[in-house]
Amino acid sequence: MKDTLRWAYALNQWNVRLDVFVRHEDQQRALKTVSACGFDTIELASGTGRWDNISRPEVILLNHGSHSGFLDFLRRARVQGVSSMFWDPQAPAEEEEGYAFRSTANPDDHDAIVEWAKPFVDFLAGVGAEQLVVRPVGSAWMSPPLGADGIKVIGDVWNRIGELTSAAGLGLALHYDCLGAVHTTEELTGLLEATDPATVGLALDTAEFTIGGIDPVAYYREHADRVTHVHLKDTRYADTGEEYRMPGAESTMLKGGAGRRIERWFYELGTEDGLVDVPGFVAALRERDFPGWVVIESDHGGNPAELAMLNSWYLQHELGVAK
Amino acid sequence: MTWTKWSYMDHWVTETPQGPQPPSFNRAYMDRYVKQLSALGFTGFDTFFFYLHMLGGMYGSVPGFERFLQDNGFEKITGIFSAYPSATRYTAPHVRETHDRIVADCTNTLRTCEGLTGVENFIVMPTSTYWQTEPVTDDTIKVVADLWNRVGKLTLEHGMTTTCHFEFWGAIRTRPQLELFFEYTDPEYVYFFCDTAQHTIAGVDPIQMFRDYRDRCTGFHFKDTKNVDEHEAYRTPPDPELMAPHVTRWFYEMGEGGLVDFPALMKEIVASGYDGWLTVEHDKAELGGGSYAEATAVAKWYIDNVLAEAEAEARRGLESVR
Repeated sequence: MKDTLRWAYALNQWNVRLDVFVRHEDQQRALKTVSACGFDTIELASGTGRWDNISRPEVILLNHGSHSGFLDFLRRARVQGVSSMFWDPQAPAEEEEGYAFRSTANPDDHDAIVEWAKPFVDFLAGVGAEQLVVRPVGSAWMSPPLGADGIKVIGDVWNRIGELTSAAGLGLALHYDCLGAVHTTEELTGLLEATDPATVGLALDTAEFTIGGIDPVAYYREHADRVTHVHLKDTRYADTGEEYRMPGAESTMLKGGAGRRIERWFYELGTEDGLVDVPGFVAALRERDFPGWVVIESDHGGNPAELAMLNSWYLQHELGVAK
Repeated sequence: MTWTKWSYMDHWVTETPQGPQPPSFNRAYMDRYVKQLSALGFTGFDTFFFYLHMLGGMYGSVPGFERFLQDNGFEKITGIFSAYPSATRYTAPHVRETHDRIVADCTNTLRTCEGLTGVENFIVMPTSTYWQTEPVTDDTIKVVADLWNRVGKLTLEHGMTTTCHFEFWGAIRTRPQLELFFEYTDPEYVYFFCDTAQHTIAGVDPIQMFRDYRDRCTGFHFKDTKNVDEHEAYRTPPDPELMAPHVTRWFYEMGEGGLVDFPALMKEIVASGYDGWLTVEHDKAELGGGSYAEATAVAKWYIDNVLAEAEAEARRGLESVR
């Protein structure tokens, strides 16, 4: 995309199950799709195990030999590089002490989580990426309310990892999500206040904010100095009934297992009845000359190629971005 | 200069609440389909004659649908595809007694296109299936040629070129049959539409066909295949495209290791001075778990990268000769 904003596309939509996005030729087709839609930079998302050969740093390197080998693989499809990578230390991974189920809310887990961050930091630095995007805390339904002390504990571990990323020339961006134990505007702002602005930023996801009841445009305007990364996507629903507190909210809420039985929450830009003011949000980014990556993400949607093309259409026709 | 006249031939299937369906499932799906083609940079749209009434209903009129295309960066509807793949007692191009009916059908289709910006190609399947037509004699080809001479004269009066798209399973499929057909048809009325995969499957070199019939060529379907028909699959009743015993999927998008040398064709096209539309077609792309959306994006990537380079190389060659 030819624009003053820097646009990237998230690959997570293709890797929807454990074993469906493994063959290199399938990955090449996804990369070519992204490229044909006008994006030359991608965001990766972490995974685990031998099948996550475009997700887990150690497995990527095993597949491609080196950082440059992986970049060569991307460039075969005319994708020039990696903007960022998403990592959730609460998500079980065999590489992280064999599915150890640690939490950033537990100070006793911090040393281990800092160790777990190192392969991501090394990998991202090696491929010339800019941001490690992280889920700062696990789901709200899995733990008691955090309180100010709890939020400070979470801030502590991210400050430590922020020092690591900073030393490697990377940014660290905390990604708010609608299920997280840091949920309200006050809690999110509290977490930002508990972290070092010099090393820790915020990844603002427009759909996650909207579902969680936070206005992304207003929040960005108020905290623009802390926003270092953006995920741009839409939603048709807000969580008006505190469904995020339901046990197993990953399934009961986000897959419609209970509550209002909404089976799909995230939508492409320009979706009918979308709640996100995408033009308003992008205008706010432009007003501030936002220097970070704006990553289009279409996770948990439908056919990834269709969504990539619709997102590209929206950028070209509604936001006036030249391909 | 990069080739800008890329059109897309409408074959898509997309996921709907009622399972995989054409985007014409409803207006919202059709809108999304057009936007996706637009995002990739296609500027022409080809469709089947049997979709025209449905598009008219969905968008108020067929020109209304074309205006929606134009609002999304398209230039126009570029081609209408008309065909009688199965011979019936009413319509069979090799049966002279059915010709009046076929001409009447074409007249109706032309009427449906009134008010459009300027459809260029009236693309026809010259014959029905081989197995329904055989034996294919010189006389058979003459009868078929007579029909398309009539239709060609008719469409020309409406500003459209009748152009013949041959199938590997059609009654006119070999090089000698093609040559005889073009000999029997009037160069003023009947033209050649080059489907790269269909000719390759039939054992005919599409690049050589273009070279030899450049003056009569008015369009292409850029699609690939991985198989030449070596087992007389073309004679499989009732349909060789889906029922051939040795090959379950005949057609592929460009750049997936198929038999067609697209860069060589692109260079030949540039060198020839052809300046018409180039059309991408995906037919049965969903077989084996494929997706039309991804096939379309991958094909456009191939155009933007591999074919653009072949085109640039050909243009440099032309410049150096001047």
